[in-house]
Amino acid sequence: MSTTDDDTLPGIPNVGKADLDAMVENERPDPREELADVEADTDLGVAMAEDAQRVARGELTGDQYWEKYDEAAADEFGEAYQETPNPAVDAGDQTVSTGTAESLSCAVGSMDTVAAESAQVEGEEPDGGIGAGDEKWGMVIDLQKCVGCDSCTVACKSENRTPPGVSYNVVMEEEHGEFPNVTRTNVPRPCMQCDNPPCVQVCPVSATYKMDDGVVNIDYDRCIGCRYCIIACPYGARYFDFGENYDDEVDEAGELTSPEYGVDRGPREEGKSPIGNVRKCSFCTHRLERGEEPACVETCVGDARNMGDLENPDSDVAQMADSSRAFQLKEDEGTDPNVYYLK
Amino acid sequence: MSTQSSRFEFDPGFEDDRLRVAWYAVVGVLVAVGAYATYLRITGGMATTNLTSIVPWGAWVAFYIYFVGLSAGAFLVSTMANVFEVEGMHRIDRDALFAAIISMAVALLFVWIDLGRMDRMYFPFIWRQLTSALSWEVHAYVAYIGILVTELYFSMRIDLARIAERTSGLRQTFYTALALGRLDTSEGSRSFDQRWLKRAGIVGIPLAIFMVHGGTGVLFAVSKARPYWNSGLFPVIFVISALLSGTALVMVVYVLRTRLFDGDSVDPDLLDRLAQLLIGFIIVDAALTAIETFIAIASVHPHEIETWQVIMYGPMSWSFWWFMVGFSWVFPMVLLTKKAWRRTPSVMVLAGLSVVIGIIAVRFNIVVPAQIMPVMEGLPHGAYFPTLVEWGTSIGMIGVGLLLYTLGAETLPLTPLTGGDH
Ligand code: SF4
Ligand code: SF4
Repeated sequence: MSTTDDDTLPGIPNVGKADLDAMVENERPDPREELADVEADTDLGVAMAEDAQRVARGELTGDQYWEKYDEAAADEFGEAYQETPNPAVDAGDQTVSTGTAESLSCAVGSMDTVAAESAQVEGEEPDGGIGAGDEKWGMVIDLQKCVGCDSCTVACKSENRTPPGVSYNVVMEEEHGEFPNVTRTNVPRPCMQCDNPPCVQVCPVSATYKMDDGVVNIDYDRCIGCRYCIIACPYGARYFDFGENYDDEVDEAGELTSPEYGVDRGPREEGKSPIGNVRKCSFCTHRLERGEEPACVETCVGDARNMGDLENPDSDVAQMADSSRAFQLKEDEGTDPNVYYLK
Repeated sequence: MSTQSSRFEFDPGFEDDRLRVAWYAVVGVLVAVGAYATYLRITGGMATTNLTSIVPWGAWVAFYIYFVGLSAGAFLVSTMANVFEVEGMHRIDRDALFAAIISMAVALLFVWIDLGRMDRMYFPFIWRQLTSALSWEVHAYVAYIGILVTELYFSMRIDLARIAERTSGLRQTFYTALALGRLDTSEGSRSFDQRWLKRAGIVGIPLAIFMVHGGTGVLFAVSKARPYWNSGLFPVIFVISALLSGTALVMVVYVLRTRLFDGDSVDPDLLDRLAQLLIGFIIVDAALTAIETFIAIASVHPHEIETWQVIMYGPMSWSFWWFMVGFSWVFPMVLLTKKAWRRTPSVMVLAGLSVVIGIIAVRFNIVVPAQIMPVMEGLPHGAYFPTLVEWGTSIGMIGVGLLLYTLGAETLPLTPLTGGDH
């Protein structure tokens, strides 16, 4: 940003650019040392890394780069190289042109084709589709670690692309006591994925139901939008999609939607589900199925949120849920949530 | 023969043509307002309401349970004539049944417009859920409407046949079709109808009390998440207030239709009987509500107490004090105390209308306040007042009800041609 080193910003120590670069260089691991620990050829690694920087500087094109290393990489990495799709085709500068890509020995495709392929793999699941897994998903939230930053809420909103007025996760904040003896508790609240879910019990069309992996699903194609489930949920975890959008804030806000419950619905359009339906947290089922943690768990600043298999006694969550610190919200409702808190 | 035909004189419809035009104009305006509001609702989606995820049920649900109540109440009044054979009640049998059918139709319109996905209204008949009160209700409503129509048919069939006999052409075809071709007016066919009317009524009573209206109360009462609704007394109060509003409606309809359509004078004994029923229902309704309030406050459940505080002292407390207490209990009670007033049609119409309007507030106060309090400490409080679109659609659907009723009253022999008690 600044043109000369003399430009100082208030509150920022006046350190020369060169000093900063030196600091970065200091922090940078020695490439040879790093690569010595891996099986792959160290010289090849260093050479590829250096050339990659050249590509970044524009001294080399993506095509030249891949043509140069294709053979070596195929020798070195074998199948792993040939079968891993290289999504770097025509995604902008510095990438491989389709022509070159075809001559390479690795499987390549554009971002879109790679995504489509992996979606297909998901669709062909042998074990009966979404939610049929062997795990019983549970979440444990450590209230001692939660700093109340609301990152989970934000991560959830961007992961699930929820519209205004819909927030699968909220952090409830409670202040207790009088000044100066005030304490504050922050309680994040996703859907509890109850074992005895009142929301499921009341739905007149069975649009919401419990899956084998413990997650409570909503079939947006069946839900008639009667909102009885919102009334019945003791945790206020359900939200009605009124069809609002962030169009004023973000261009094309509705272009991308999240494949909730494993169903890709394409862009958000008026009159199309889930507009007019009830929505809620799905434990990021679509991420769980890919072997990823829910967005809120992944993002949590204080490492307060944990996700895992409650039925596996060795799992972290099972052990935490078993500890004497563990409790559930509104235990006397008999809903038996799969979200546990540590006090 | 001349005595015969004057005995069966059938001239339904307004006595006064100017009144007819004026009335249809009023109803037309209501329906037009409703049509425009419904257009806004359909194109704008649920965002045209003031509903939120915190207060997901509002005016439409309140009106829906209101009309279900009106219907169940009116139906139960009709059974006094056709099942329990209370002396002198036959005169209002058909009035009550027909009002019950129209109310139910309006109630279903309200259910429909309230769905987030109006296009999926038939889904509950494709997919069901045994544990869902709403799933059961939807089926009960259909069965109940079936019973009502069956009853009205058996109650009215002989008169339809008589009319068909004396008319010709298109009108004859129309009334023959309504009588389903059974044009026998003999004594034997009459007692056959009476028998089946009674049977349908006997099936209908438990259906109306337990399934249709009690069930609608259960819809709310099973909501453990909302302690204000989660009470055993709740469905009972629901049925009592339904009887209250239904009786009031039948009284109003009886007086107005006799005066304006038949040009007859109102039977003061019958009016007095209905008025006394009304007194009884007001007392029971007020007493049960008081008990419910007492239990709620004595339970010291913070959620319950705060909900009652919202009702009695919140921003909408006027609806409780003016409409619920004032219009549905105190004001009609004052009018009902004097025997001479109970026999005066105009005073009783006033009392009846007051109840019919007051009970609307009762329904709003059932639906909305329980959602104002958050289900968990730390979640936001709700606030709700219907938008113009919600009011407009509601007015329109009520207008549709009035229109259907008027059309029916202008064509059907709702007053027994033989003049009353069979
Ligand atoms: S928290 Fe609410 S929405 Fe989630 S499973 Fe339980 S009752 Fe259903
Ligand atoms: S809103 Fe949808 S999911 Fe909820 S109870 Fe109604 S139909 Fe079921």
